Amino acid sequence: MRLLLGLIAALAAAPAAAQYYAGKTVTIVVGYKTGGGYDATARVLARHLPKHIPGKPTVIVQNMPGANSIIAANHVYAVAKPDGLTIGTFNRNLPIAQLTKVEGVKFDMTKFAWVGSAASECTVLAIRTDLPYKSFEDLRKSKQQIVIGATGPGANTYDFPLLLKEFLGVNLKLVSGYQSSADIMLAVERKEVDGRAGSFTSIRPFIDRNLVRPVLRARATEPGVENLPIDEDLAPTPRAKAIMALRSAPEIVGRPYVMHPNTPPEHLRTMREAFAAAIKDPELVAESKKARMDLEFVDGDVAVKVMNEVLSQPKDIVEEFSKYIKFGE
Amino acid sequence: MHSHASLALALGVMAVSGYAVIAAWFWPWKAALFPLAIGIPLFVLSAAEAAWVLFGKAERSEVQDFQLTRDVAEREVVRRSATTAAWIVGFFAAIVLFGFPVAVPFFVFLYLKQQADEGWIFSTVFTAAVWAFFYGLFDRLLHLPFPAGWAFTWIS
Amino acid sequence: MIEALGEGLFLVLHWKPLAFMMLGVALGFWVGLLPGLGGATTLALMLPFIYAMQPVEAFAFLLGMHAVVATTGDITSVLFGVPGEAASAATILDGHAMAKKGEAGRALGAALASSLVGAIVGAFALAIAIPIVRPLVLTFGSPELFMLAIVGIAFIASLSAPGVRGMVRGFLSGGLGLLCATVGQDPQAGIARYTFDSLYLWGGLDLVPVLVGIFAIPEIIDLAIRRTSIAGKLPAGRVSKGALEGVKDTFRHFWLTIRCSLIGTFIGIMPGMGGAVAQWMAYGHATQSARTAEERKGFGAGDVRGVLGPGAANNSKEGGSLIPTVAFGVPGSTAMAILLGGFFLLGLVPGPDMLTKHLPITFSMVWTIVIANVVTVIACFLFLDHLARVTTIRGTVLIPVILVLIFIGSYTSNNHYGDILLTLVFGAVGYLMVVAGWPRAPFVLGLVLGKIAENYLYISVARYDAAWLTRPVVLVLIAITLAVIFWPLVQRRRKAAHA
Repeated sequence: MRLLLGLIAALAAAPAAAQYYAGKTVTIVVGYKTGGGYDATARVLARHLPKHIPGKPTVIVQNMPGANSIIAANHVYAVAKPDGLTIGTFNRNLPIAQLTKVEGVKFDMTKFAWVGSAASECTVLAIRTDLPYKSFEDLRKSKQQIVIGATGPGANTYDFPLLLKEFLGVNLKLVSGYQSSADIMLAVERKEVDGRAGSFTSIRPFIDRNLVRPVLRARATEPGVENLPIDEDLAPTPRAKAIMALRSAPEIVGRPYVMHPNTPPEHLRTMREAFAAAIKDPELVAESKKARMDLEFVDGDVAVKVMNEVLSQPKDIVEEFSKYIKFGE
Repeated sequence: MHSHASLALALGVMAVSGYAVIAAWFWPWKAALFPLAIGIPLFVLSAAEAAWVLFGKAERSEVQDFQLTRDVAEREVVRRSATTAAWIVGFFAAIVLFGFPVAVPFFVFLYLKQQADEGWIFSTVFTAAVWAFFYGLFDRLLHLPFPAGWAFTWIS
Repeated sequence: MIEALGEGLFLVLHWKPLAFMMLGVALGFWVGLLPGLGGATTLALMLPFIYAMQPVEAFAFLLGMHAVVATTGDITSVLFGVPGEAASAATILDGHAMAKKGEAGRALGAALASSLVGAIVGAFALAIAIPIVRPLVLTFGSPELFMLAIVGIAFIASLSAPGVRGMVRGFLSGGLGLLCATVGQDPQAGIARYTFDSLYLWGGLDLVPVLVGIFAIPEIIDLAIRRTSIAGKLPAGRVSKGALEGVKDTFRHFWLTIRCSLIGTFIGIMPGMGGAVAQWMAYGHATQSARTAEERKGFGAGDVRGVLGPGAANNSKEGGSLIPTVAFGVPGSTAMAILLGGFFLLGLVPGPDMLTKHLPITFSMVWTIVIANVVTVIACFLFLDHLARVTTIRGTVLIPVILVLIFIGSYTSNNHYGDILLTLVFGAVGYLMVVAGWPRAPFVLGLVLGKIAENYLYISVARYDAAWLTRPVVLVLIAITLAVIFWPLVQRRRKAAHA
């Protein structure tokens, strides 16, 4: 009986969704300016989502940059209407902002209606190939100091090596202040710095060019670097491991997509299904391959679990974490 | 006008740089270095300029920048500047209260009729053209987010 | 290398890529003209259409669109005193002043012709420099880039008014700009500096709203005061006739135009300097070409050289900025970052190969920029008459339109009302500066270079401790800095001695 009712409900839902979304406009609010990774992902999705949402609504992208996307998150959390027509995508490190009690945060990452994540972020540490270190072990044993370039606190270019230095005892000097991660690559080529950390996707062209070689990665992985050692595994104490895990937890939810907390569950379901289908859409896959984006759907429930994991850490871990990691990029 | 403005600016810069130095004093040195290195000389220089204006001879330095027109009597200049400033601020207030799509035609029409003294037909047609261009390009084509004005959210 | 040049040209001259380039040019024309339509935003919007095109056509389209923006941005600067693009702000100082004297046609002609010369000279300087470009970029590390920023800041001295009092005001203006550049989250300790608990200020002061405020608002107030058309009380017929005169001016001051083009190319090649710097350095250099104090006073009041310099530099920098993008994979601006995406579409990997194996492709891009600029300039000359006539329309009718454009132009930086507020605040500051006789150019330079200078200083010290001061290029740049600051003073003293 329950099965029958469920079936009837599901059958009724699809045309209801079609009725709801037909002729409407869905807005994806991006917490960054045009041209960045979050924006590019959103635009690719915006092009292919309409086919997979019953009713084929128009999907547009709006940019709401500011405060590393805290402004956009606040907007989607409280200001946007909970009508299933506004989706927000922003900085994956926002749970850290909430955790470290950054001022101005008006949202709760666990309360959003989570559609899911469109990709996970794989952070690697890459060293210039003409240096004698072929693996992370070599690096650790090195007597010479290695210079790593970074953009600023809050970005994985800075946070990842910082924890390596603090907890894994790698003899590295962190030089921060580069305008963008591309500028760090230039510094690598100039031999001003010896390497950098960052997203595998953005470093990959330089790996292919044989300028740098990846030696270590964080928890989330991508094809090509699965065999690299993971920083957490090498942590000397459980506390160190917990802190490293805390830093990399948000990376699984690399491109978060959420809706207003009070969004009706049927709309959330529609969106989750649409996202999952769109990301598997062969046209989207072809396009994202051309744009060198690796999209992969992570369901909203998994995302909520990660958020809860991050935000329920014991106080002493959070305190020590805050000493090293500040919210930034 | 010239020296009053210079005094006002000099005092303003003194205030700004003074505040900047005080605020930066308590930051970690890496964050504070530049603001202090710039703020302290800036404070000294602006104090010098203020003193110069107050106690030096009235001198008009020929700056390589655009000069406001001198064809009009000074009192008129002040009056017209103030009026224009009021219109500009008023436009901003209209945008915040009513949102861009409403404020734009409202302001254009009002300005044309009230300040520019244009006829009804011209004002209406011109406003319609400007609004069509603005709406067509920035709303329809580019989907720029224009939040609804505060007045409308208060009502609803 | 000559063969590569020829091959590159041949790659471009197929009708389909050319057609798409024209389409890009047509689009880029409006993007540069209208404040509010940013180059980066539009490029991103065009991306979906690009995936449907063939790679070569896509690239021609993107590049054609981007190459033109600097040229048409100058038009809005000259006609209305509103910076159509951040890179066109310097043209306002003399260009709009000329428009107010009824010389809009001449100013436009000069801006367009110098843009063309800038694009061509920049392209060829690039082609010639290709063998040394990689070593050049690799030699300019963070210490050298810091010193370059300091040289730029020292230019503030030469952009100031003459005399000690003038210098004081110049440094006040520049110092204020540098201080404003520190607003936002700092990249060393992550502290939010001077943000007053406002989330909006976290990212610092955005350049476009500030530029629009500090330049356009005083112009509007002036227009309202004068109660005339922009061109003033001059008869309508004369305004557009000057275009040819403007072209002749470009050749009258040919060497200046060339030098400014080279400045633009060089700054474009340097990664990380930013697109807005080149025009101000060129403007500063142009003012230095004034031989007497009388002549220098003319700058800011409508000296055509003040149009030629920035006009040439902001186009030549485009060719230059291809180098970090193409040869190193380091995009010089958001637009270049998107172009880089187009690169991957073509299956190309930016790197040293682009300067050796794939040199013809690099040259084809250079040729695209040149041809796009030629086409634009020719098209603009056809419309020049009508464009210049705008300055004869009643000012009171133009004011609301310009204001709408200004407000939208600054709003679209961040889609935040804070931008408009910023424009208003700096509009007031700009107005006060104009009335008080404080030069505005140093402020802009300070704002633009502040962050760059600070970051590179920290990197230099962190990486090299104190040793960075003894690097050869750094020493040369220190010498140049001192020369830039003290040369005008020496000149004046010499003149006073002679008098």
